Amino acid sequence: MKVSFPYMGSAIVYKKLFEFLEHEVIMPPKPTQRTMDLGVKYSPEFACIPLKMVMGTYLEAIEKGAKVLVTSGGHGPCRAGFYGDTHRNILKSLGYDDVELIIFDAPQDNWKAFFRNVQKIRNGVPWHKVINRMYTLYRFVQKLDELEKMVQKIRPYEVNKGQTTQVWNQIQEKFDKIKTRKELYRVYEECKQMLLSIPTRKVEEKDIIRVGIVGEIYVVMESSINFGIEEILGNLGVEVERSLYLFEWINDNLVPWILRPKRFKEIIKKGQRYIKILIGGHAVETVGHIIDFKERGFDGIVHLMPFACLPELVTQSLIPKISKEVDIPILSLPIDEQTGKANMLTRIEAFVDLLKNRKKGETKEVFIDNIQEHVQEERVVMV
Amino acid sequence: MKIAIPHSLLYYYYFPLWDTFFKELGFEVVDTGPTTKDILDKGSKAAVSDICAPIKIFTGHVIEGLNMADYVFVPRFARIKKPEYFCPKFMGLPDIIEGTVEESKGRVISPIINEKNNENISSPKIYEMLAEMFGFSHREIRLAMRKAEEVFKRFKNLMHKGLSCDKALDSYRGGRWEEDLKKVKKDGDITIAVLGYVYDVYDSFISMDVIKKLEALGVNIKTFEMIPQEVAYDNLKHYRKRLFWTFSNRVLGAGLHYLKDPEVDGIIHVTAFGCGPDAIVGRFLQYESDVAGKPFTTLRVDEHTGEGHMVTRIEAFVDMLRRKKWARVSEVL
Ligand code: SF4
Ligand code: SF4
Repeated sequence: MKVSFPYMGSAIVYKKLFEFLEHEVIMPPKPTQRTMDLGVKYSPEFACIPLKMVMGTYLEAIEKGAKVLVTSGGHGPCRAGFYGDTHRNILKSLGYDDVELIIFDAPQDNWKAFFRNVQKIRNGVPWHKVINRMYTLYRFVQKLDELEKMVQKIRPYEVNKGQTTQVWNQIQEKFDKIKTRKELYRVYEECKQMLLSIPTRKVEEKDIIRVGIVGEIYVVMESSINFGIEEILGNLGVEVERSLYLFEWINDNLVPWILRPKRFKEIIKKGQRYIKILIGGHAVETVGHIIDFKERGFDGIVHLMPFACLPELVTQSLIPKISKEVDIPILSLPIDEQTGKANMLTRIEAFVDLLKNRKKGETKEVFIDNIQEHVQEERVVMV
Repeated sequence: MKIAIPHSLLYYYYFPLWDTFFKELGFEVVDTGPTTKDILDKGSKAAVSDICAPIKIFTGHVIEGLNMADYVFVPRFARIKKPEYFCPKFMGLPDIIEGTVEESKGRVISPIINEKNNENISSPKIYEMLAEMFGFSHREIRLAMRKAEEVFKRFKNLMHKGLSCDKALDSYRGGRWEEDLKKVKKDGDITIAVLGYVYDVYDSFISMDVIKKLEALGVNIKTFEMIPQEVAYDNLKHYRKRLFWTFSNRVLGAGLHYLKDPEVDGIIHVTAFGCGPDAIVGRFLQYESDVAGKPFTTLRVDEHTGEGHMVTRIEAFVDMLRRKKWARVSEVL
């Protein structure tokens, strides 16, 4: 089967997954302006931006020959649960009758459908091999995430501009070729050395600026839609950490409940200080991570959300309050197809300046009132 | 003790229940009244700029309510029907208010409505937090709720018999009840189903009183409140997966019902700018109307919509329906 999938974050991981299941993988291209244009053109106008981007990705993957698209469904109460159905409808109406969209809903919603899907993508690979390879993949994700976290800590201090990103790209290429667990561990050590040998300047603890990135999963994980915010921050001399890494996401969502790390539950508990019940999307986690980052000594938070994202609007409503009470500056950035990179850059730069001044003790200001700025261009003017 | 009930969101559907309940408990209930420009402005200023219009309006009503009473009622709607939920903003409503209206601190009454299957939201356990807050006994709460439930059932009955939500509310307020049923308007020559959440359809700032305008043009109206929940759901059976949101399903189910109703000549979907769930509901309604061959239009008020413009659009839609209908009738003659 010529299989493809939505592009999000470390897409080589999904590629590996299907390679391990012995499919012919059609690698979806990293989203570009064209992906966005295609997605916007064929999606409902008021759909969220991730839905549109994924639509665009599908169309590009189909152009490259994909016949089967595999994705996760997600269950309420947010719109994400309907992505798959909406995409399927659109593909049908565009006449792609020969393209199959396999949607993995949460198993507990419909066990039968889930196992039918598993059988389909298992592709006849014997179970013992599947299990062995899935374990390799699990470690693969873990190691890749570890390296990415190193990248995020080294980039701000590199002596030669751009070197870390270059090395990171090489690392991803190396990982792409890995076939066995043994190879994985060897390549991992090698890559680690590559990173450690990047010349960096020494920084004292008091000059280190750390920013946590939180928000809705797609815009947090996919750099092509968030303008490569991690790189931007890194280049401004800021260490970053995301609220979401694939490895942790797998542990939180796919690993059986009993084995789940305590951490996830702790984050949820922290989030419930401000949002009392789970309301869909990542809203409660977003708040939980903001508090957690603060407790771990971070200096600021960037909150990323798709424009008009339902749960994240609840988070956004709480940001001034959290920012004040928890005492941490938060920059909330809504993203849609019209968000301009220049505007975004200016705001991020101003934010980093504020963090630096705060660190030096020159200001106590905690919250950049980006909301005010938006009021000027108020979109809902009624009567 | 005074409690304000914001005249917004599910107020239109549940006011008789809450009003009766709180009065039975000895509260003085104040209604923040229909949305005004001032309320809208206050709400828009406090709320985050990208949030949907109904939440901005609600925020304004809360601020207004805080000026008028000791407490404001801001229920947290999680669900009233398994496995569905409310829109995430309803689920986080008290949190939103806490975040955006500083003076609400400690003055908000927010029971959690999390029911597996109880549209009447009349389980006393929902409101037990009042026992803690004000020292009522559980018995008092239970008795008050029992009374409120009866009133609500009567109110719902009025709607099922053909009164739109706002008219049923008038009946309740005037204590007239069934007498008003005589006033159900049935003498128009065409009938339009006006579909949308109660807080969109009946808020004069969002729908610009579309129902009154249509009635003035001699149109009969049908709305989603007029059909029982079960009937609405029956119509959704052929979908692989229901929507996640209860009222979205009811609007959609009612839409499908009215598409089959020979009396209904056309459908108007009223939606607020910035509504997430409606992006999906609207698309489905449009699609199904095309299939059924019934005229469909969307009324979404945004910055480009002046009242004049909207009236023109409604008139054009009504004219079109009339022409269509009379063409058909003369064919038969
Ligand atoms: S979480 Fe936000 S982006 Fe995701 S489906 Fe919901 S509204 Fe859309
Ligand atoms: S259903 Fe739509 S209009 Fe209502 S609160 Fe949610 S987004 Fe706003």
